[in-house]
Amino acid sequence: MSLPWVEKYRPRSFKDIVNQEEAKYKLASWICRRFRAPDAFCKAWAKVQAKEVEGAKAVLLAGPPGTGKTTLVHALAHEIDYEVVELNASDVRTSERIREVVGRGLREGSLFYSGKLILFDEVDGLNPKEDLGGLDSIVDLVETARVPIIMTANNPWDQRFRPLREVSLVINVRKLDEEDVVEVLRRICNAEKIRCEEDALRALAKSSNGDLRAAINDLQLFAEGKGALTVDDVKRIGERNPQLSMFEVLDRVFRARWFDEARAISFTPSFDWEQFFAWAVENVPRVYKEPSAAAMALDRLSKADIILRRIRTTGEWELMPYMTELMLAGIALVPDKPKLPRFFKYQFPQRITLLAKSRESRRRREAVVDYLARELHVSPSYVSSELMRVLSVVAKKNPKALEAIGRAVSISVKDVEGLL
Amino acid sequence: MSVGELFWFEKYRPRSFDEVVDLDEVKGRLREFVRAGNMPHLLFYGPPGTGKTTMALVLARELYGEYWREDVLELNASDERGINVIRERVKEFARTAPVGKAPFKLVVLDEADNMTSDAQQALRRIMEMYAATTRFILMANYVSRIIDPIISRCAVFRFPPMPKELMAERLRYIANKEGVKLTDDGIDAIYEIAQGDMRRAINLLQMAAAAEGVVNKDSVAAVASAARPSDVLEVFNAALGGDVEKARERLRDLMYIKGIAGVDFLRALQRELPRLQLDDDAKAAVAELLADVDFRLAEGSDEELQLTYMLVKLAAIGARAKPTPAPRRK
Repeated sequence: MSLPWVEKYRPRSFKDIVNQEEAKYKLASWICRRFRAPDAFCKAWAKVQAKEVEGAKAVLLAGPPGTGKTTLVHALAHEIDYEVVELNASDVRTSERIREVVGRGLREGSLFYSGKLILFDEVDGLNPKEDLGGLDSIVDLVETARVPIIMTANNPWDQRFRPLREVSLVINVRKLDEEDVVEVLRRICNAEKIRCEEDALRALAKSSNGDLRAAINDLQLFAEGKGALTVDDVKRIGERNPQLSMFEVLDRVFRARWFDEARAISFTPSFDWEQFFAWAVENVPRVYKEPSAAAMALDRLSKADIILRRIRTTGEWELMPYMTELMLAGIALVPDKPKLPRFFKYQFPQRITLLAKSRESRRRREAVVDYLARELHVSPSYVSSELMRVLSVVAKKNPKALEAIGRAVSISVKDVEGLL
Repeated sequence: MSVGELFWFEKYRPRSFDEVVDLDEVKGRLREFVRAGNMPHLLFYGPPGTGKTTMALVLARELYGEYWREDVLELNASDERGINVIRERVKEFARTAPVGKAPFKLVVLDEADNMTSDAQQALRRIMEMYAATTRFILMANYVSRIIDPIISRCAVFRFPPMPKELMAERLRYIANKEGVKLTDDGIDAIYEIAQGDMRRAINLLQMAAAAEGVVNKDSVAAVASAARPSDVLEVFNAALGGDVEKARERLRDLMYIKGIAGVDFLRALQRELPRLQLDDDAKAAVAELLADVDFRLAEGSDEELQLTYMLVKLAAIGARAKPTPAPRRK
C-alpha cells in the first residue's frame, strides 16, 4: 500500500505550514522563552511578547479536525531538535509510565533541556462517558514537569477542561479557508503529476469544510493512479456533515484505508460507540462476503465487545483505546478488502426491529418458563432448552395439556402453543 | 391435568425414601437425620438427572410432612440476581419459625457451583448467620467448583449416574402405569442417549410414547432426532454452507422470538457435534470454535455479536472443508 498522502505531504518545517502564522508565532515564542531552542529559529518565529505566553506552563492547541495541530507540534520539534513523546490521556492514569518517560528525560539533560517534548493528542477526544481522572493527572503533570507539554483539542471550551485551560496557553489553530485547501491540493497534484481541474479541487475543498486532512484523503481516493482528475470524478462526495448519521459513520469506517483514518472516526463528536456495535454486527457480513474477511473483522469486533464488558465491570477506562481501535480499524482493515460499490446499502440493525416486535411474546414465554421452573423444581434454562421441546411433542397429541399452563399464567392456550 | 402430572418426570418423581430405587447409602444417612430431628448443612453433587433435587424434596417431606412447602425455600444460584438477592430472600425466609415438626427451615440452593468463589464466600457467611434457624442443601454438578470452606461445613453426598438396570426398572414401571408398550430395544435406545440421566430418559420415554404410541428402538430414534434441536442444526448447516444471512435470520428468530439464551444454543450445538456430517479436521476446528465462542459469550456483553462471529467463522471453516474439484485430465 502506498503511503497516505497526508503523511507523504505533511509539512516538516514551520514555513511549509500554510496560513497559521499567528499560531506559529505564539508557539515559537512560548518555547523560546521557557525552553532551550536554536537562536535562528527563535529570531525568525518568536515574535510575540506577552505575559500570558511567558507565564504559561503548557500549551493547548485548539482547532477543528484537520487544521494541522499535530503537524504544528511535529514541525516545531523538528525545528528545535526535540523528540516528540506522544501520550494519550488514558496513559496518564498509569502515572508510573509518565514519570518513567519524563523522569528519564530530566535526568538525561540539563535543567530546561531534556530533548523531549510531550504531546497529548486529542485530550477532548476521549468519550464523554469516560471518567475524568486522566485530565487531573495531566494538570498535575503540567504543574510539576519541566519539559514542554503540548496538548491538542478540537473543543477545549467545555466546562470540564477549565483546570487545563487555566494552566495552559490556549493557541487557536484556525479553520482553513477554501483557498488554503485548494492551494495545498494543487501542490500535491503537481507533485504527483496529476492534471487536476480547478473545479474538482474546489469541490473537494468545499466539501472538506476546512478539514485539510479530509480533503487530502479524498483527493488520494479519487486521483491516485490517474493521469487526471475531473469535476465529474468528485461529484459523488457529499458535504462532510459533522453530525454524521450511523449510515455515514459506517460508510466512513468501511471505506477507511488507513489505521489512523479509521481510528479518527472515534473522535467525531457524534460518535456513539454503544450504538455502533449493533450497526457493525449487522453490516460486517453484508460488506464482507468473503467468509475469512468477515471472520477477521468480527473476531476483532468480538474482542472489542469483551473489552467493553471489562471496562464496564472493572472501570478500567484506560482499556478504551483498545476497544475503539479494534471496533473501527479492526473492521476497516482486512486483507484483500473488497472494493465497495459507490453506494452501499447499509442495513438498519434488525435486532432493534425484532426486539420491538417480539416484546409481547417474549414476556409470555418468560411467564410460562418461570411458572414451569417453579412447579417442576428445575431451572428456567432447563425448561427453555429441554422441557419446551417435550411439551411441544406431548401437546401435538394432546392439546388440552396446555390448558393448565395457560390458566396458571393467564394467557390463552393458543398463545401457549405459539411459544412452542 | 396439573402441570405436575403433565410431565412424567415430575409425576413419577419419588415422594418418599422407599420410592427411590437406588442411592441406598444416601437414604440411610438422611433417614438418620430425620430420626434425630437434626442435621448439618448438606452438599449434593453429581451429574444432571441423578436425583439430587428429588432427594432434597423427599427429605423435606420426611422432615415436615404434608405442608413441607411452608418450610422450604427453593433457589437457583444461576437465576437469582446475585448473592445480595439470595441474602435478602434467605433473611426474609428465616425470620419466621418453622411450621413443621423440625426445629429448622430448609434452603435448597441449586447450581451452587455456578457461583463465583467470592459469591460462595458470601454464601458461607449467610449460612453461618442463619445457622440457628436454617439448614442449607447445596446442589452442584461439580464438587471441585465449590470452595473448601463450604465443603468443610457440609455433609457431602455423591450422586452417581443411574445404573442401566435400575433405570430400566423404573422406565418399565412408568410405562406400565401409563399403559404404554415399551420394548427391550426401546430401553436400550433410551439408555444409549440418556446414559445415567434419569430425567432425560423419562422425557424420551414420554416423547416417544406421545409421538408414536409405542416405545421401541425406532420410535425413540425418531423422537431423538426430532428432539434434536433441529432449529439449532439448521442454523449450523446454513452457516457452514456459506449462507450466513439465512443462518443469522434463524439464529435471531431463536434468540429474540423463542428466547433461547446464547449459551444454551451453543451447548446444544456442542452436543450435536459428534453426529454431524463433517470431516474430522473440520470437526476439530468446529470444536475449537465452539469452546472459543463459549468463552467469548461469558466474557463479552453482546450475545448476537459473539454468535455472529461464530457463524462467519463456521462459513470460513465450511469453505475450507469443501472438496476442491479434481483437475480434469485430457
